[in-house]
Amino acid sequence: MKRPPRPDYVLRQAWLLVRASPWLAAVSSLTIALALALVGVFAMVLFNASQLLHDLGRSLTLTVYLRENALDTDIAAVQAKVRTHAGVKGVRVLTADQDRTRNTKLLPAELLQGLDEAAIPGQPVIEVDLNADLGSRADVDTLSAWCKSLKAVQSVEDAEFGAEKLRLLFAFVEIARTIGLVLTFVLLASAMFFVFSTIRLSVFSRKEEIEILALVGATPVFIRVPFLVEGVLQGLCGSLLAAGLLGLLHLELLGLIRDVHMLNLSATLLPPGMIVWLVLGGPLVGLAAAAVSVGRYLKV
Amino acid sequence: MIQLYHVSKRYPNGCDALNDVTLRIREGEFVFLTGASGAGKSTLLRLLLVMERATEGQILIGGRNIHVLRDSSVPFLRRNIGVVFQDFRLIKNRTVFENVAIALEIMGLGRKEIERRVNQLLEGLRLIQRAHSPVTDLSGGEQQRVAIARALVNEPAILLADEPTGNLDPELGHDIMQLLIDINRRGTTVAVATHDAYMIEHYGLRTLVLHKGKLLEDRPRVSVRPGQDVRPPPSPLVYGSPLAMQPPVAAAESSLASAADPDAVEAP
Repeated sequence: MKRPPRPDYVLRQAWLLVRASPWLAAVSSLTIALALALVGVFAMVLFNASQLLHDLGRSLTLTVYLRENALDTDIAAVQAKVRTHAGVKGVRVLTADQDRTRNTKLLPAELLQGLDEAAIPGQPVIEVDLNADLGSRADVDTLSAWCKSLKAVQSVEDAEFGAEKLRLLFAFVEIARTIGLVLTFVLLASAMFFVFSTIRLSVFSRKEEIEILALVGATPVFIRVPFLVEGVLQGLCGSLLAAGLLGLLHLELLGLIRDVHMLNLSATLLPPGMIVWLVLGGPLVGLAAAAVSVGRYLKV
Repeated sequence: MIQLYHVSKRYPNGCDALNDVTLRIREGEFVFLTGASGAGKSTLLRLLLVMERATEGQILIGGRNIHVLRDSSVPFLRRNIGVVFQDFRLIKNRTVFENVAIALEIMGLGRKEIERRVNQLLEGLRLIQRAHSPVTDLSGGEQQRVAIARALVNEPAILLADEPTGNLDPELGHDIMQLLIDINRRGTTVAVATHDAYMIEHYGLRTLVLHKGKLLEDRPRVSVRPGQDVRPPPSPLVYGSPLAMQPPVAAAESSLASAADPDAVEAP
């Protein structure tokens, strides 16, 4: 009967392989840790930025300024048009007087001294509470297009919801994502190269042992598995190191937001699914690199 | 047990290492393979271990034609053929125990079973005191005994030895030969490649003489030769295994019957 190698035997052999060249193994693990930590930092930034944009989309207000001479029927028509949009949560209509009163409250008392109340601007306004699902810049563009269609109505003077600021935020997120992807690719490729080289050296240093194992009847799987596990161990060390670094960074970041900037924000480390992938990422990178190296250099 | 029919081995450079060799080694037999350097002794052993494939002819081991054996089945055949080399081929960074245990580790046996069998064998070979020493700390004779222990621990039907005394002084060489003869008396088929004419003469066992890849002569066993140790084996070598307790032919047959069938080969 074909029996797989005992796990304790495989782990012991893999550990011996790691111990045989500890510095190389350490460099491989550190490279994996660095690559994964960077992936984690970018993922953290992007995840929190996306969360922020998502929250912004949920509490977005579109202000439709109507012309001063707009009639009640015009206001009702615009209101009806606004309500047809799926993402509209609520609509408030302010008359010109209500708008003036609100503006008066917004202005500082020094500015209002000696000023005729009629000089303070006021016009009919429709304030629209949106529940927009802003996942990308395209969603902002869709909302902008709708906003533009409102502007096209004759009784509407202007309509705006801060589209430019949102576009800027999305551009920032997209640039960060691109830089993150390129750096991640380069660092993961370097990490894989280090593991690949370490395993190759392990295979060369054990050439005689491999020949002996084959002579006494070891199957190729039995001979190869310890080398693959060596790669997985290097990757696991890298993953755990990266997770530790990210945890520390997260704590520092939270302290900075709360204590230094007095902001009532709560930055999330990463969603649990991504943390699991981060921890699994190292062993997977190690396994993939080891598999390539073993496939290329360990001929049984 | 081992049958060769018109076996030839030609290397890509045109060199004929073996040329139309036909021979038969029976179960439980002890055979010397001899000849000058380059005669084809080692090539013959390499073909039996399927380290190389014959260019022509058929090789049968335990009735199985290894010429048509799939690569994936080769490890399972090798588990039934113990092998000993002149340079011992021990794993240098492991202890005596680990070197012997490896032949059982590859079969996936449990740790306790491995400990039991290895310790029993090391006890029998007077190596138990050195069980946890690195093999590099051992003398040449001790290292060769470790190699023999590794070859025997999974109770193979056949033991092949390539110049097993070549690196040892005559006294140690004699000890190793006596050990191989003891092993043979317990039913294992033994083939020893050597160019030591004195040893062949001394033991008077069946001898196959190779010359330039051809089988030149098949000298039969001389029943009793002067000076030969013909006493019953007093050595403390203990197998304690079902294979060792069986009559040689039955043991060999049961072990090799399905060597090429991975699912049928298992540690006894």
